[in-house]
Amino acid sequence: MIVSGCDVGSLATKAVILNERSVLAQAVVPSSFDPARSADEAMGRALEQAGLRLSDIRYCVGTGYGRERIPFVSKAVSEIACHAKGAHWLIPTARTVIDIGGQDCKAIRLDARGNVVKFLTNDKCAAGTGRFLEVMARILGLGLEELGNQRGKAGEPIQLASTCTVWAQAEVIHHLNAKKDIADIAHAVNRAMAARVAILARGVGIERDLVMTGGVAKNKGVTSTLEELLGTGIRRLRLDPQVIGALGAAVIAKEQAEGGKA
Amino acid sequence: MIETLRKAARSIGNPSLQAWNEGGGKVLGYPCTFVPEEIIDAAGILPYRLRGITAGTMSIGDAYFGPVICSFPKCILQLAGQGSYGFLDGAVVVNGCDSMRRLHECWRKASEDIPGTLPGFFHYMGVPHKATDYSIEWFKEELGILARSISDHFGTPVTTDSLRRSIRLFNEIRSLLSELDEMRMSETCPVTGSDAASIVLAGFAMPREEYRETLGKVMARLRKSKPVSDGKVRLMVVGSASDDADFVELVESTGAIVVSDCMCFGARSFLKRVDEDADPIEALAERYLGGNLCPRMFGWYKDRLAFVRDRALRSRVDGVILQNIRFCDLHGSENGLLERDLEAEGIPCMRIEREYGPLVETGRIKMRLDAFMERIRTVGGRRS
Repeated sequence: MIVSGCDVGSLATKAVILNERSVLAQAVVPSSFDPARSADEAMGRALEQAGLRLSDIRYCVGTGYGRERIPFVSKAVSEIACHAKGAHWLIPTARTVIDIGGQDCKAIRLDARGNVVKFLTNDKCAAGTGRFLEVMARILGLGLEELGNQRGKAGEPIQLASTCTVWAQAEVIHHLNAKKDIADIAHAVNRAMAARVAILARGVGIERDLVMTGGVAKNKGVTSTLEELLGTGIRRLRLDPQVIGALGAAVIAKEQAEGGKA
Repeated sequence: MIETLRKAARSIGNPSLQAWNEGGGKVLGYPCTFVPEEIIDAAGILPYRLRGITAGTMSIGDAYFGPVICSFPKCILQLAGQGSYGFLDGAVVVNGCDSMRRLHECWRKASEDIPGTLPGFFHYMGVPHKATDYSIEWFKEELGILARSISDHFGTPVTTDSLRRSIRLFNEIRSLLSELDEMRMSETCPVTGSDAASIVLAGFAMPREEYRETLGKVMARLRKSKPVSDGKVRLMVVGSASDDADFVELVESTGAIVVSDCMCFGARSFLKRVDEDADPIEALAERYLGGNLCPRMFGWYKDRLAFVRDRALRSRVDGVILQNIRFCDLHGSENGLLERDLEAEGIPCMRIEREYGPLVETGRIKMRLDAFMERIRTVGGRRS
């Protein structure tokens, strides 16, 4: 039985194809203005990788902000449930998931079956989201991966006083003008991001194992600071953290198909 | 019948209000449930609860309030500044919260820049934050000053007899709305949450005798109506000022039904009656200050929690939505406590911080509602 999940996010669209045991294909493409087109493109790539046609897919679940506009899905599910399912499928002992996407951040607590028992999402603004890191990386002239790899030098670390993306941007520019070391500023950016996310994670109440999903999980600076702030390790995933929402959608598709709902 | 109420709930004006106005009737606006409507009504003036719906921009509101403050009073000022409240003959502003208190000074200041913004009668009334013997005395004095100011300005005396008549009228409305509240909480809820919200909201904007008649007819029909709650997830909405029936409709679009609430534009506005036998001003002070479970009141968290918990249990809800307008300190912090305490008793909760006004954040809120519904459906609702 072949199933799939498609996650149309604000910045990237992801597709995952799954059979009974393993992931057959995964694809990530930038989101366009049209969720249906982004979904077609991501799923097209995944199908090509797997050497399959859309008609081979028994059941497909859509998720993400564009979930209700994906033409080929059988069911739409919130990304909160999908990230929980995806993380749980990879790490069955996962009980807390922190997902940082392009435009929001979620802390999710799950039960032993991967069902959501509690969740919180950020409310105010871009602070604590992938967008915050994108803005900061651009000012610092770094790639996103480079930003994550920057470790500050020993000594007095730089602190960003504001978590607001706009004000923090002004602070970063101030530090650049003051000729501060780029690595130290980048480290401060990662710390500010981690501090913001830690507040949300504590709000949901952390239970081990802790897993991180979403594109920002690839940023080592943020993850290591988060581990430090939360006093617990973050379990590494064997798949790209960015596709976990789509993976979870595929896992739900599998449950639906097995439950006779296909 | 209910269509009239739906329309009145979703707009600033309504045909009944317009007819009242055209017939020479006076209208006095107030923003908060700590202002006794009976005092205004006793002077023959229509009490109109100020709202911010339909404000499409915040250009005037932002200019006087600044950005980091609740958008509810800002939207009221926006509408006043752009002339939408031209039908008001007066307004009473209270310190319901700090944002609402600032409406008084911001409105005055805006009227210096935009002539004609301020109604002819503009009154500030202080409301204590405690309900003790001495603060109720103070509040009684404030109510007396309000009654005298209205009488003097409009030349229509507020008398003990006219107050008693108004108290009886408003108690009749409260009885009908309380019956609606009980119907909604029952297993056989005959009305959607968005229609129930419309029924209550229209009552803040229509001439009250006409509203009582319409409400009576709507209730007569609802008593015979079939349940609309079967198979739906039962939810309760709690938190800061929400006069948006479309928000409830969005919640219900996920397969839920809102069967109960604890909000100042909802049940909190009508559940407690005014004593008809006591001295009217004293009875109003007791009811409006002593019986209002708003988090602006000091030291009553346990009573408020008990009230919310009791309503959640009696209406057999599967979950509670704790919503507050962005930057609302009172409900924002209280919702955190309520979430902690209700979840500890097995009642699933979801907190939402949202902007007041048009549903600009529909996508974000819908995603959370979907996730909350999935949580209730997979893990289960309230564990009894």
